[in-house]
Amino acid sequence: MDFISVTFMIFILILICLYFLVPDKYKWMVLLAGSYVFYAFSGIKLMIFLIFTTGVTFVSGRKLGDINEESSRYLKEHKADLTRDEKKQYKSQITARKKRIVTAAVVVNLGILIFLKYFNFIAKNINLVIGQFGVTEKVPLLNLLLPLGISFYTLQSIAYIVDLYRGKYQADRNFLKFALFMSFFPQIIQGPIARYDQLASQLYEPHKFDYTRVTQGFQLVLWGYMKKLILADRLAVAVNFIFDDPAPHEGFILFFAAAGYGLQVYADFSGGMDIARGVSQVLGIELALNFERPYFAKSVEEFWRRWHITLGSWMRDYVFYPLSLSKNFANLGKRTRKIFGNYIGKKLPTFLSMFIVFLLVGVWHGSSWKYVAYGIWNGVIIVSSILLEPVYQKMAQKCGMDTESAGWKFFQMFRTFVLCSFGRFFSRGKTCMKAIDMFIRALAFPNPWVFFNGGFLNFGLSYKDYNVIFISILVLLVVGIMQERGVHIREKIAEQHICFRWVIYLGAVLTLLVFGYYGGGYSASEFIYQQF
Amino acid sequence: MKEKLLEILNDLRPDVEFEKETKLIDDGILDSFDIVSLVSELNSEFDVEINVMDLEPVNFNTIQAMMELIEKLQEEG
Repeated sequence: MDFISVTFMIFILILICLYFLVPDKYKWMVLLAGSYVFYAFSGIKLMIFLIFTTGVTFVSGRKLGDINEESSRYLKEHKADLTRDEKKQYKSQITARKKRIVTAAVVVNLGILIFLKYFNFIAKNINLVIGQFGVTEKVPLLNLLLPLGISFYTLQSIAYIVDLYRGKYQADRNFLKFALFMSFFPQIIQGPIARYDQLASQLYEPHKFDYTRVTQGFQLVLWGYMKKLILADRLAVAVNFIFDDPAPHEGFILFFAAAGYGLQVYADFSGGMDIARGVSQVLGIELALNFERPYFAKSVEEFWRRWHITLGSWMRDYVFYPLSLSKNFANLGKRTRKIFGNYIGKKLPTFLSMFIVFLLVGVWHGSSWKYVAYGIWNGVIIVSSILLEPVYQKMAQKCGMDTESAGWKFFQMFRTFVLCSFGRFFSRGKTCMKAIDMFIRALAFPNPWVFFNGGFLNFGLSYKDYNVIFISILVLLVVGIMQERGVHIREKIAEQHICFRWVIYLGAVLTLLVFGYYGGGYSASEFIYQQF
Repeated sequence: MKEKLLEILNDLRPDVEFEKETKLIDDGILDSFDIVSLVSELNSEFDVEINVMDLEPVNFNTIQAMMELIEKLQEEG
């Protein structure tokens, strides 16, 4: 079921009414039933994968929970009679038992994702390589369908299992409640990737109807639809036009397409998040924040801390930290320090972990070499910018620049925007080679005259459309500046007189209806991250 | 211990007033790069083994919390 459909509107209204009408003890059941109905719309057959992953995660989680309880009970009971060494030995036995379970569960859950998402990509590349050696036998390609949201709920399941391995919280003992945590409908298709300790109890507890919260939730939903339909889908027309046939274009036109795609993804993905968070807020549930105005970032590293935050924090907690703090990386650090000296040698293992993280983030987006290149691009930019930071500082000092001035900060933001936009060639280009070609031609053939000769008006959009895009970006910018300064816009609206409030609501709905880009047959395009 | 810890922290991030800050992680003052460098310094300086499970904001938000974590790990041996 698409967020942008009449079916979804009807579904959500029925679900909200039911949720607030049924007795408290049944509220979580309404959410569970609603989540599975929502998922069923994308195909009942594919639901089996979600149920299977839920089952594996629940069972292994319970087993880990049992071991945690057993070990803490044992250590408490034998606190006085165990020596330090005996305690250590017992703990290492427990860790080994838990490690077996966590490994099995992660291999199964991740295995399903890897198989469904990457099997054909791997097979094609194997065939290409063995073809070079004259082998005629080929690995057969399979007709595989990707279950909706698998890239999101698999990461969610791994976080739960690893957290239990780490003894962070107690295991869930109710399968149906746990199934709700795994399938909660607003976030299953494109996140945010939830953590059990932040979301589960909110889902299981009943929430009363609260007028202010409900209206604020709907405002967020409306804001999400505006981002998606007014800005993202309109930008998509020009972006698709250029990326579908980039050959006739060069210079700023190509950069415009890449930067436009960056803005399109932002409006699309963060718009989808606003809808998910808004619907949840209506029900009394706070989902994790996934975007924090990334285009205000002053470095690419900061950009990634503000963009798709839940994926970034997942990678930090379950890949970056374990890798960086592992014994192998510590030993590597000792060796690199001997070779490259203290400053760089100490940082190299951390850079390597960071690089692996960005490679994984790239590949997580899809099974194509262009995503590998996308990961490498971001990894290289971040590592080099950290390494070169002292050089930049010295240069700024020599040139007499005040690095605390607004002008310098604006320059940093602009530099980040340009670097991130160039990365978009890889995430949007049709293939890796086409992306590289566009990248080079954007740099090699500067054509500033297109700003003055109407060169931008030929990509499927009218002059009016460009005005709408310009105003939308301006509105996003103003809202972003207000949020950066700590202004809570929805709370401000709630403080206004009822007449004024309703003027704002109706104005927003009207703006959405008039300026929304509905495409052919009035069908909005799919959310981009839904495909991942 | 406090002096040594402050020395390590000031070496790592001379721009931060560690004794005044109470949300070093929650406010994003220390990022994941800083944390990894800090952990390796703390491990070798205080002869402890801070592992991934200890990397919770609550253990690194203040200098006091860091000291408590080190003391706890030293006690556990």
